[in-house]
Amino acid sequence: MSATSDGRVLLDPTGELSAPTRERAPRPASLDGRTVGLLDISKPRGNVFLDRLEAQLTDRGIAVRRFTKPTFSKPAPVDLRQEIGTQCDLVIEALAD
Amino acid sequence: MHDIVNLESGGLPGVMIASSEFVDAASAQAAALGADPARVFVAHPIQDRTDDEMRVLADGALDEILRRLLSTS
Amino acid sequence: MTTAPLPDGLVAIVKRDCPTCRLVAPVLAELASGDDPVTVYSQDDPTFPDGVKVVDDTTLDVSFALDLKTVPTLLRVDGGEIVGRTEGWLRSDWETFTGRAPLGAGLPEYRPGCGSRTLDPDIADARAAAAGAVRLVARRIDLGAHEDEVEAAFERGWSDGLPVVPPTPERVARMLTGTTRAPDDVVAVVPPDLVECTVEKVAINAVMAGCKPEYLPVVLTTVEAACTDEFNIHGLLATTYFSGPMVIVNGPVARAIGMNSGINALGQGNRANATIGRALQLVVRNVGGGRPGEIDRATLGNPGKYTFCFAEDEAGSPWEALHVERGLPPGSSAVTLFAGDGVRGVVDQLSRTPDSLARSLAACIRAVPHPKMALGFDAILVVSPEHGRVFRDGGWSKARVRDELLALLQLDGDEVVRGAGGITEGLPEGLAGMTVPKLRDDGLLIVHAGGGAGLFSAIIGGWINGPGGSQPVTREVRT
Repeated sequence: MSATSDGRVLLDPTGELSAPTRERAPRPASLDGRTVGLLDISKPRGNVFLDRLEAQLTDRGIAVRRFTKPTFSKPAPVDLRQEIGTQCDLVIEALAD
Repeated sequence: MHDIVNLESGGLPGVMIASSEFVDAASAQAAALGADPARVFVAHPIQDRTDDEMRVLADGALDEILRRLLSTS
Repeated sequence: MTTAPLPDGLVAIVKRDCPTCRLVAPVLAELASGDDPVTVYSQDDPTFPDGVKVVDDTTLDVSFALDLKTVPTLLRVDGGEIVGRTEGWLRSDWETFTGRAPLGAGLPEYRPGCGSRTLDPDIADARAAAAGAVRLVARRIDLGAHEDEVEAAFERGWSDGLPVVPPTPERVARMLTGTTRAPDDVVAVVPPDLVECTVEKVAINAVMAGCKPEYLPVVLTTVEAACTDEFNIHGLLATTYFSGPMVIVNGPVARAIGMNSGINALGQGNRANATIGRALQLVVRNVGGGRPGEIDRATLGNPGKYTFCFAEDEAGSPWEALHVERGLPPGSSAVTLFAGDGVRGVVDQLSRTPDSLARSLAACIRAVPHPKMALGFDAILVVSPEHGRVFRDGGWSKARVRDELLALLQLDGDEVVRGAGGITEGLPEGLAGMTVPKLRDDGLLIVHAGGGAGLFSAIIGGWINGPGGSQPVTREVRT
């Protein structure tokens, strides 16, 4: 038992052909025609970092949308997550320090 | 990290950017959530960087970020 | 579990919570002052009794190892082996056994013992669960400290959309008590991933579905039947068609596990009906890897793909049970798997003769899955008690019902060929002018179920029959 688990165990109901941790969403082959969301977690200097990423992606012809969390100390509100989820195809979250 | 994990579970590929100080904490958080989100680390420190220095960090991280967002061949 | 060998001499196992043990405590102290070493194991209190060497057996490891039924139990141990055993208090017995007399002055001659703590139902269950849990081999998933165990199952894709019961090792071990089969027995190879599915994996999914351990034999048989070549669960899963596996349960097991064959038999509300069907779907999803949007490409599907399982009402039926008709011995229990597309209701509140009712039903069966299609699909007719009574009063056996329906379902080729009636869909034009049977001879299954009030029956259409399609499969349920 480690500090990050508390001893609760479930038995795997699957055929165990893949890893037990939550899988990541499938990745696209390219960003063409896709919108990338940039989520600022509101820690200092993160906005400058994201401004630069936005400029770089836009130069490459990739559509970008910007979002900001109200506070870095809590998960993003449900509304904001839903906005990102419906308006974007991928997301970059920055900058945890 | 909760946000990225939550958005991934809704089908949105994501990557989180953190300072290199965060490597271990991020692993621990990932384990606590039972997930393994894509993470890219940039060199600490962050707080006292100039704007130009921040842009250099962003440029340096861009390729890695794109690699984590796209499928490998 | 192995325990250390017992010490030589006299060994007693007692519990404070037993009047006879308290009665003989001074006797044990008496014996301890003699030549034989005396060791006393206490099941509930290591400070009991006074005056002797007490070993704490509150974990009951020693008591279980000795298969103890009664306390006090007195053993003689020589060279690590038990050479004598007596239970309760009988003075003459103890004196002979120990070679010491007199013993227990002032005590009654005889007092029976009490039940050992190992027989306490809660304790026996917990121990079986813990022992069983050790034998499980499925991959263990450690939940993160911040993970909710119900959400964890959703997040990992184990759910059919509804919450599942988190499959803890304890729950799975308890589920496995429902079968005599070994957990590592292979039940079936489950498509599409063609994974060998063990009893343990079925049990994990049965826990998630919400089954009780007593349902497990039915679930195991259902999985076996579904994974046969004839039933073709793989094809059924991969089709764009509506159908999913439907389970009909026959025989004494249905009543024993409390299944519903009456009011709302095809609907919700009964745990066994609901969870047995669901367990099969979860096995297909989780063990087989068959999921909507991936292998499962159903255009619309049907709600029965959450769960579709009911018991035939045999007691009230005018006819023999489905499984008996299909060749199993009366008195046996069985499941029949059918690729059901949903429920089509039939209303007939005025037919009083079997002829009229048969024509009604035939008219409705004609539409499965389209009035101008024939032979490619089977169907199940679920006759309710009130409709069953019409046939019973008319003296029609099930065979007669079937023969009459099939005869009524001889279609006029001219009406059903492509283009006929201005409808492009239909049978090949070469069949014009011919008579075409709607259903193949074995293509109509008839069962009896439903509440006592209601002049309704139901038709459940199948999927493609024949090679490449799915055949109904009946299997006997074993424990």
